[in-house]
This record gives sequence, structure tokens and C-alpha cells, in this order.
Amino acid sequence: MNHILKFNLNGEAVEVAVKSNEKLLDVLRDKLGAVSAKFGCGVAECGACTVLIDDLSVRSCITFAVEVEGKSVVTLEGLQADGPTKIQKAFIKHNAFQCGFCAPGFIMSATELISKNPSPNEEEMRHALAGNLCRCTGYQNIVDAMNEVAEDNKGGVK
Amino acid sequence: MDNFRYIKPSTVDEAISSKREYGKKANFLLGGTDLFIAMDKGVITPEVVIDLKGIKTLKYLEEKDGAIFIGAAVTWTELIESEIIKKMVPALWEAADLVASVGVRNTATLVGNLCNAVPSLESGAPLYVRDAVVFLEGKDGKREVSVKDFFTGVKRTVLKDDELMTGLKIPVVKEFGEVYIKMGRYEGEDLAQAGVSVFVDKNNNYKISLSAVAVTPVRATKAEDFLKGKKLTDELAAEAAELALEAIAPISDIRSSKEYRIHMCRIMVKRGLIASVSRMETGVPALSTRLI
Amino acid sequence: MKENLKVVGHDAVRLDIVEKVLGAAEYTDDIAFGPNLLHMAILGSPYAHAEILSIDTSEAKKLPGVKAVITGEDYPEKFGLYLKDKSIFPVDRVRQVGEQVAGVVATSYEIARNATKLIKVEYKELPVILDPYDSIAEGAILIHPDLGNYVIEPWLEAQPGTNIGHLRRIRKGDIDKGFAEAETIVEGEYHIPHVAHTCIETHISVSKFSLDGRLTMWNSTQSPHTQRNIMAVALGMNHKDVRVIAPPIGGGFGGKAGISMEVMAAAGAKSCPGHPVKLRWTREEEFYNSSQRTGLRNKVKIGFKKNGKIIAFKHEMFWDVGASAEYGSNVVNATGFSATGPYYIPNVYIDSKACYTNNPTCSAYRGFGYSEFSFGIESTMDKAAKIMGIDAVELRRINAIKEGEGVAYDVPMNPNGLIECIDKVAEEIGWGIEEKSDDPNKIIAKGFASVWKAPAMPANESSSAFIKFSEDGSINVMVSGMELGQGLLTVMGKIAAEVLGLTLDKVRVELPDTDRNPYEWQTVASHVTWSCGNAVKRAAIDARDKILDIVQRAHFIDKSQLYLEDNGVKCTTQDSFYIPFSDFVITGIQTEHNTWVGGPILGSGMFMPEYTNAMVDPKTGLGGHPMVHYTVGAGAVKVEIDKETGRMKVLKMAEAFDLGKAINPDLSKDQINGGFVQGLGTAMWEQCIFDEKGKMLNDGFTDYKIPTIVDVPRDMNPILVEVPQPDGPYGARGHSEHTMIPVMPAIANAVANGLSVRIVDVPVTAEKIAMRMNDPKYKEEM
Ligand SMILES: Cc1cc2nc3c(=O)[nH]c(=O)nc-3n(C[C@H](O)[C@H](O)[C@H](O)COP(=O)(O)OP(=O)(O)OC[C@H]3O[C@@H](n4cnc5c(N)ncnc54)[C@H](O)[C@@H]3O)c2cc1C
Ligand code: FES
Ligand code: FES
Repeated sequence: MNHILKFNLNGEAVEVAVKSNEKLLDVLRDKLGAVSAKFGCGVAECGACTVLIDDLSVRSCITFAVEVEGKSVVTLEGLQADGPTKIQKAFIKHNAFQCGFCAPGFIMSATELISKNPSPNEEEMRHALAGNLCRCTGYQNIVDAMNEVAEDNKGGVK
Repeated sequence: MDNFRYIKPSTVDEAISSKREYGKKANFLLGGTDLFIAMDKGVITPEVVIDLKGIKTLKYLEEKDGAIFIGAAVTWTELIESEIIKKMVPALWEAADLVASVGVRNTATLVGNLCNAVPSLESGAPLYVRDAVVFLEGKDGKREVSVKDFFTGVKRTVLKDDELMTGLKIPVVKEFGEVYIKMGRYEGEDLAQAGVSVFVDKNNNYKISLSAVAVTPVRATKAEDFLKGKKLTDELAAEAAELALEAIAPISDIRSSKEYRIHMCRIMVKRGLIASVSRMETGVPALSTRLI
Repeated sequence: MKENLKVVGHDAVRLDIVEKVLGAAEYTDDIAFGPNLLHMAILGSPYAHAEILSIDTSEAKKLPGVKAVITGEDYPEKFGLYLKDKSIFPVDRVRQVGEQVAGVVATSYEIARNATKLIKVEYKELPVILDPYDSIAEGAILIHPDLGNYVIEPWLEAQPGTNIGHLRRIRKGDIDKGFAEAETIVEGEYHIPHVAHTCIETHISVSKFSLDGRLTMWNSTQSPHTQRNIMAVALGMNHKDVRVIAPPIGGGFGGKAGISMEVMAAAGAKSCPGHPVKLRWTREEEFYNSSQRTGLRNKVKIGFKKNGKIIAFKHEMFWDVGASAEYGSNVVNATGFSATGPYYIPNVYIDSKACYTNNPTCSAYRGFGYSEFSFGIESTMDKAAKIMGIDAVELRRINAIKEGEGVAYDVPMNPNGLIECIDKVAEEIGWGIEEKSDDPNKIIAKGFASVWKAPAMPANESSSAFIKFSEDGSINVMVSGMELGQGLLTVMGKIAAEVLGLTLDKVRVELPDTDRNPYEWQTVASHVTWSCGNAVKRAAIDARDKILDIVQRAHFIDKSQLYLEDNGVKCTTQDSFYIPFSDFVITGIQTEHNTWVGGPILGSGMFMPEYTNAMVDPKTGLGGHPMVHYTVGAGAVKVEIDKETGRMKVLKMAEAFDLGKAINPDLSKDQINGGFVQGLGTAMWEQCIFDEKGKMLNDGFTDYKIPTIVDVPRDMNPILVEVPQPDGPYGARGHSEHTMIPVMPAIANAVANGLSVRIVDVPVTAEKIAMRMNDPKYKEEM
């Protein structure tokens, strides 16, 4: 079955022809050029494909594209419309990634966490990011960067 | 994965009539975290997918008439964020918090978990100890089924071809303690190799349920009867744990040997009993404390 | 060696972090190839060992959208890095589950994949070998009956007529006499299963034959030049007509070294000239059909004198290299030379055997075999310490190899800070201090290991570099060392900046493109900081010489009085003299006669170690100089274990490595943290599990568990030790792989120290701990 799918991608209305069995990840990457979301496993296990759908982090690799009809989808490209976010700045400062392939997914998950809980304690933060796999870093710099964001948010600085 | 017909009804009736029309060729879709993967791997090949997320009446989570009502479209994240669940069904809350990862929990549902009916399902044990009741609706009308009667085997339930689960209810209880303990290979995301829920109330009624160690979740009634009316001691907990093992029939697989599953169930039931009583009496251990 | 360094040795933000955090880094799969792009899918063998009787592709070819179907018929030749035993597509037999039997190129991946299901292959099953002991058993079926006819590096010792792809022996001193003189002899037998790299980015290649016959490949690779070489030779093309571009890579860890699936993409592309053809592994294919880490069964026997000194050491290693030894043979070789650990030992006997099995092919994996063999050595060392009543850390100090002492192949050891590493780790972990858990069910224990590793490479491996200036005085550094995440770009940039007096913001280091960037053997073996770094340093010195020469000619100041600083040229005798690079590096300097001196500044540099020699005596392993140097280090963990459940948490880790000189200390510490956690995965959870027919039962993250952010220690302590490497840039030597090596034995030693149970087969799972705790078979006396 074919559909003309309409949704909001990174703040802009988009329209794209899709089949029912197309995956959101593939449609974003191959048809709409939003390539920040990555293919890592295809079965919701690694988090590399994480995007925000109506502000919630979702695994785009196991989402049918047709499911986002009328919704708002944000990828890393759209997150930084006004320049790098506070989380991104902290990740840069702390050399949070090595190969960087997991970075978009981590940033999307971290963004959702901070929007719900601006200053999580370290264990809350780890729990929230546990679905994002990174093979390179051992996670330490990601933790350090996130702790800095949480600490900073406690001070009420936005 | 082959192309399919995607329909998104806005009422339960429409959903049922579609399902009736296509029967086994159609599958309901909630979060899709089980369905999508089964389709992608070619395990199932539905010609029609009926997305239930357009049905507004399936999204409810409330306490009324002595029970907590949870609609089919309620996600694990919504359960975790609900004060009702946290306070009134803490074992379910603990289980919810251990399902997969945030990115999965944001779309995956409790009802999808039940309908998928794999032995390792997280929701089984905590709902068993609370004698939850699920709501099924089909062309012949509505029926209520105790969750304990819902599963008939691995990936098998009493759901008829044209039936869908619209939600469930969990009776409200007062002055109790309960826990859910998950055995995974590590603290990161894992499918349960065993799950244990224990419930106790102030009259020393105990309920014990284990999942992932038999084809369906089970209640350890022998252990429950043994403890009934008794004030828990460490020795009683150990004895009850031994009895609880009679209710299970675990297998060996790549995740764990049968022997280790049994070993762990013994420990989990014992620690679960002690923790439930302690939680009832003093409020500790706090929710999400890792007991193993 | 006190230099006043401005950039090298100071922390900096990685040169590639901004593009990665902003999502600007274009990995291979992110590049837009336009509507001409075709997709490829592979049909993998369902059998681990079988003859191919026939392949019928007719139905597949008929499927609309299919452009080409490729089988071994089109590609009879074998390829490989060191031992050409691998088929592009096999003709006669398959040797592992998942081995590519045919490939389909089509207009979409879906069509290509559906077409693979239409290919009919008739097989005749053969007996399956999954264990190295079975591989070498009398009467075992030969997995490579043609081994004797394969093209092979001269320093490899294949054993035709057996399943042994390579045998490396060391016979140093007199082993029998050594054991006869030993006061205490301690033995152990160990097992390491296959594990997988699991880069988060799976392998991907986009290959294109242009209509005029040029081959261009965009590969997620650690080895662009090596791949170009193998492709050019295999296809009989000129090297200049093969171009390998290496976009940013989503993890390598050795798994993307050499060449594997890229040959299939090229084969697909050859059938469809003018079209880029994309082949991207699924996660399952990544497990089966890239490579895995070698499995190992080994027997360690160590003889000690009364004072704890090792007098004799015997190590038999039976490597499970899987279906091909094209790369794994070098793991076997390198470890054959080094499987003593970082100890001075007068009498050494090592047998290192590459045993073919029908498990997935193994190649390089961070640590290159050293993790596997160190588990047995370091476990045995701990056992020995207890038997002799010597503290485990002290036993390692006693035997630590010193500069000038002979290594296993009897060449003097390089300068090293092993004792300093051992002491610093012991101090950080609180060695000797007993700690108690707050939870009565739990105990706290510590475990220790010391390790070494040398880069494993051909004796004549080499690197080269170009540096070119632009109008504003900024530079592009062109190397073919690959940024894998280890920080290569930053390290190379800093070396160039240091020599040229540049600030880092003026430096860009380019990812490899074999058309544009000069030669590099490959980015493996933790050797590029040293080798490529030397080339970059020489290129920078070359550019500096040209700059000084121009200024001398234009300003009549002697070169010896000029130096580079603050993005320009300064003079030691005239404080006010300063010419910014932007004034002249392209345009030259205008003289008083209005003529011009100079021209665009370029530098080039090359490096090759000129003292290495791989041609040892095959009977003794002596007589050559196969390794350039060893990097040494130590690691320790503090764990908390539940005595009932066996569940273990690593509370704290400390690891120290002597990296000669930290070009960027922060990034070096990041390597330690990352490598430790990768090691932790292999120590506690990871292993490839196969059924009796060689099918992998956990070919996804559902059951192949790699550490998540909640599973790692909260207290991570990376420590850097700097005893300079005489021939390293600024004294640097590599240390990225090494960080994994101590973890498996440190974990097993901690468990033995805490619970008196010796786990000899990793991973050290909760189940093993709990179920063996009271089993006398596994008891280790305290
Ligand atoms: C990476 C990953 C990790 C996971 N980890 C866990 C875990 O830790 N614990 C755990 O328990 N589960 C886990 N799961 C499984 C899954 O996420 C859960 O079972 C989830 O709760 C399913 O809910 P859903 O809404 O996604 O169901 P769906 O996939 O939408 O549906 C599940 C099945 O039920 C049917 N169905 C859906 N709705 C209805 C209805 N109303 N009436 C009748 N039939 C219906 C569908 O057709 C389908 O067959 C994991 C899954 C993934 C992908
Ligand atoms: S690609 Fe979606 S979670 Fe791995
Ligand atoms: S930085 Fe490489 S996977 Fe995270």
C-alpha cells in the first residue's frame, strides 16, 4: 500500500511518498536527507537511530514511516536550528565521543532526558542513557559532560 | 518485509470489524516493538496492520471504583511517569522501569507486552500477584478475563481471531508491600532470564509469581499457602523459596542454564519476600533497588 | 629530553569532535550517491562446511530490478593479506556459516535481498570442526586441502596436509634444564571464545567502476592503501586506477583492517559499470561475515626459582582462527613471538598454531591476540604467587623486563616504565588494603595484571605524509593513517603544529584518499602515532626547512637564527622580527628589487623502521628482529561480588601504560577508559555462541551483550607513564590496544582472590561464579 505521508520534520512540513513497509529510519535518510540518524542494528538495540517524535525519543529503525503521519519529528539536524545546544557544547568540551557514530543517538536521548529532568543525578542519567550503545568511549566523557549540564541546570542557568 | 495494508481506525468497533474482515491475515499494532521485529524477521507476514493508536478511547490511566484502569494505548513510559502506578502498583512500576530502554518504552505498551505473550514478559509476574483482569472485546462483545487465565502457552493466549485487548484493571489494595526482581545478564538492557514478583499485605497474605521460568508466568501457590498468616522470618522465607521452585519448569538456553535459573529463583523469591515485608513495614528498600 | 613544547603534551579538544557532535561528519552511508546508486545483497551459506554442488541463479536474474548476480564462477582467484586462502565468492566449498555464496545487485536493497532467496544452491555437507583441538586431531577433515598451493608471505610457516595455517615456534635457552632448576612449577589450561568487534557502524562499501574502467571505493576502513593494493593485484589493474576513499568510520578495533566484504562490493560494481554499488552489512552479517577475534585454547607452564624469578616458561597456543587464516595467521605469528608477557625469562618454549575451524573467520581485534594469551599467563602468575606465598604484585615486579634484557626472540627490550606502571596501579587500586562491603551478602576483592604488546606488522611497514600551506598560513596535513576515534587527526595535527609553530586552529588533517594522500600501510597495531607521527614530523621539518630557506634568502638572516612560532617566523637575535606565514607561504617574499623569492610551501616525509627483520629461523624463532618495540602497562580492578548470586560489579579500575610521550594526555586517557570497557565486555559477558553445526546463536545485541553506560565502573583511573621511545615522535609509542589486555585476567584474579574460585574460561559470568563457587574442581587455595 502506498501513502503520501505528511509530517513535520525539523520544523518544516514535508510530504513524501512511502509504502507501508518502509522504515522511518530509511525514509529519513534516503528520501529526506536527514542522515544524522544512523543504522546500527535495525532492531532497537543500539540507539544509533534515535529521533524525537513529538518530543519523545524513539527508535526510528523499528518505526513504520506511516506511523508519523501528522507528527513532529526532530533529528540532530533540527535540534541545533539556533546553534549547538548546551548538551552539544558540553559534549564538545569533554571530547565525549571517539568514532562519533553513536553521537547523534546519544544527543537525542540526552535531549529528551534534560527536557524532562533538567538536573538528573548521575544514576538517573545513566539509567536514561542505558539504551544507547557506544563501543569506543567507555562512556566516561559522556557522563562527565552530562554531569556538567545537570550541574549547570541546577544553577538555573539556561 | 513485504508491503501491507496499513489502516488506522478511530474506534474500537472499526478495529474489530477490520480484524473480523481479515482474520489471521491482520495484526494489531500498538508500539510495534514486538510486531515490527517479527515482521522484519519474516516470522509473521500480515497482509493488514491495524494501528490502534488512532483510537482515543484506549488511552486512559485512572483509579476509580476500587481499581486502577489502564488502557491498551498506555506506554511503559506513561506508566513510569504515573504517580498512581508508582504508589499503588509499585511492582509493576519497577518492572516497567526495567523494560528495554527509554526509546522502546516511549512507544511500547503494557497491553502489547501481554498480547505478545512470550515467557520472559515483564508484565506477567507483577500483574499475577495483583490478580489483574484484562478486557477483551470482539464481534461477540466484551469479556473480562483474569490475567492468570489469559496465557495458554508460549505466544498463545485466549484472544480470539477477532478480539482485541482494550485494557486491564488492577484491584486497589491497602497496606501492602510488593517488589519485582528481574534476572538479566547485566544491569543494561536484557530480556529476563527470570522474573519474580512478591506481594504481602498486613494480614500476612503472600502472593508469589515467577516469569520466564515456565511457558507462562506462574503463581507459587504452595509457597503462598505455606506462608499464609505467618509473620515472615528469614528461615520461613528460605523455606518458602524452596517450595516456590516446585511451581517452575525452567529450560536451559544461551542466556542461562536451567540450574542457574533455579538457583536464582530461590534467591529472588527469598529476597523478594524479605524486601516486600520490609517495604510494607518501613518503606525500604526504595523502588528500583537492585535486590540481586 | 626537556623540550619546551607548545602543543604536544597539552590537552586539546579533538579536531574532529565538532563535526561529530553537530552531525556534520559524513560516514560512508551518509554520502549521497544519486539516483544511479545500486544496492547489493549477499546469499550466505547455511552450512559451516559443505561442498557446493551447484548454484542456479536463473530465477534470481529474472526478478525485475535485478542488475547482476555474481558467484564464484566469475572470481576463481583467492585473496588475503598474508595468506591467500579466501575466496571472493567460493566455487567449490563453503567453510563457515554465512560465507558469501552469491551476490545480487539490484535497484533496491529489498529487491536484491529478495533475489538472493531465489538462488538455488545444492550443497553436500561435510564434517564440521569447531574447536582447535578437533582441528589438529588425527584424521580430522582438511578445511583447506590446497593449503600447500596458496600464495603466502615468506615468514609464515603453513603446514600443508594439516589444518595448521601457520606455526610459530620459540626455542630460547634450554627449556628442560630451566624446568629442572625450578623450585616451583605452576600450570594452567585456559579457553577464550570468539568475540566480535561490534563497531556500531557495520561494514559498508560503495564501489564504482566508471565507464572508463577506473575503480573508486568509499569504504569504512582502517586500511585504504592495503585495500587498494589487494584490489589492484586481484583485478590486474594499475594502482593509480584504483582509488579508495575513507570517509569517517564508525569504529574499527581491527575489524575493518585488511579487506573483507569490500571485495564483494567491487565484484558487484564490476558487473554494473557506471553505477555506484552499495553493500552494507546487517548486524547479523557483521557478526558472521566481517571477522571475529581469534579463539584460543592454551596451556601455560611456568617454572620459578625460590626468589620468585621465572626460570622456564612453556606456552602452547592453539588458535581458533576460523575458516580463513589470511589475517589471523599474523595474530598467531605476533603472539608466538611475545606470549611470555612482559617478563624477562631465560628459557622459553612457545608453540603458536593457527588452527583452521569452521567458525567465522578471525582477523585483527584490538590487542591482536595479546588479550587472549595474557589471560592464561596472568592467571597462572596469580596462582603461582599464592603457591609461593609471594604477593601477586611483587611477583610481577620481580620479573618485570628491563631495558636491554632479551625478549623471547632474544633481542634487547626497549626502554620502558613497567615497574612504574605496576606501582602506580597498585597504589591507585589500594593493593593490599582489605575492604568490606556494606552488604553482608557481598565481598570486595581486587585483581591485578601486567601486560605488554608490540605492533604486529611486516618488517617493512611504512608511512608517509604531505603538508601543504594555504594563503592564510593554515595547513592541510595529508596522511593515510585513519581516524578511528583514537584521535589520530589530533595527534598528527599537533605534531605538525609543534614543528611549524602553528596554533591548532590553523591545522586540518585530512582523512585518507589514495588518490590524494600519500601511502600508509594501515591503521592497525597501535603503531600510527609512532610511524605516521614520524612521517608527519619529517614532513613538517621539510616544510620548515623550506620556509627558513626562503626567509634566509629574502632577508639575509642566517637560518640558524630563525625559528617558527605564533604562526610565523621569528628571529633569535632580533626581537621585533616577525613574518606571519600568511605573508609568504603561497605568494613568496618580495625583495627590494620587486622580484619574488619562494613559492607554495609543501613538506613531505616518510618513515620506515630500518632495523626490523622478520626472517627468523622457523625452528627457534630466533635470529631476526620481528618487533619494533613493546609498550608495557598494568591494570587492576576492585570488584564487589554477591556470594549467593555470583553477580559482580566492578567498582573501580586503574590502568597505567607507558606511552613514551602523551601527545595529547586527555585523549590517551580516553583510550584507556574505552579500551578498559571493551575489555570488560569480553571479561564478563561477551562471547559468540555456536550450536554444534556452527550456527551462531547470538548474532545480535539481544544476546551478544556489550557493556552499557550502567555496567561500567563509576571510578575510572587512567594513568600515563612516559619513558620515551628513542625513535618515536617526541618519544611517543602507541598504547590504544593495550588498554584492553589486562582486563580479563584482572577480573578472573579478583574473583579468585575474593572467593577462591578460579575461572579459566572467559567470560567470567555470574553463573560461572555462582555455580562453581563450591565446586572443588575450581578451588584455588588462598
Ligand atoms: C530492543 C527491545 C527490548 C525489549 N526488552 C523487553 C524487556 O526488557 N521486557 C519485556 O517484557 N519486553 C521487552 N521487549 C518486547 C516489547 O518491547 C514489549 O513486549 C512491549 O511491551 C510490546 O508492546 P508494543 O506496544 O510494542 O506491542 P506491539 O508490538 O504493538 O504488539 C505486540 C503483539 O500484540 C498484538 N497486539 C497489539 N495490540 C493488541 C491488542 N490491543 N489486542 C490484541 N493484540 C494486540 C500485536 O499484533 C503483536 O502481535 C523488548 C523489545 C525490543 C525491541
Ligand atoms: S539502529 Fe535502531 S536501535 Fe540500532
Ligand atoms: S564514539 Fe564510537 S560508538 Fe560511540
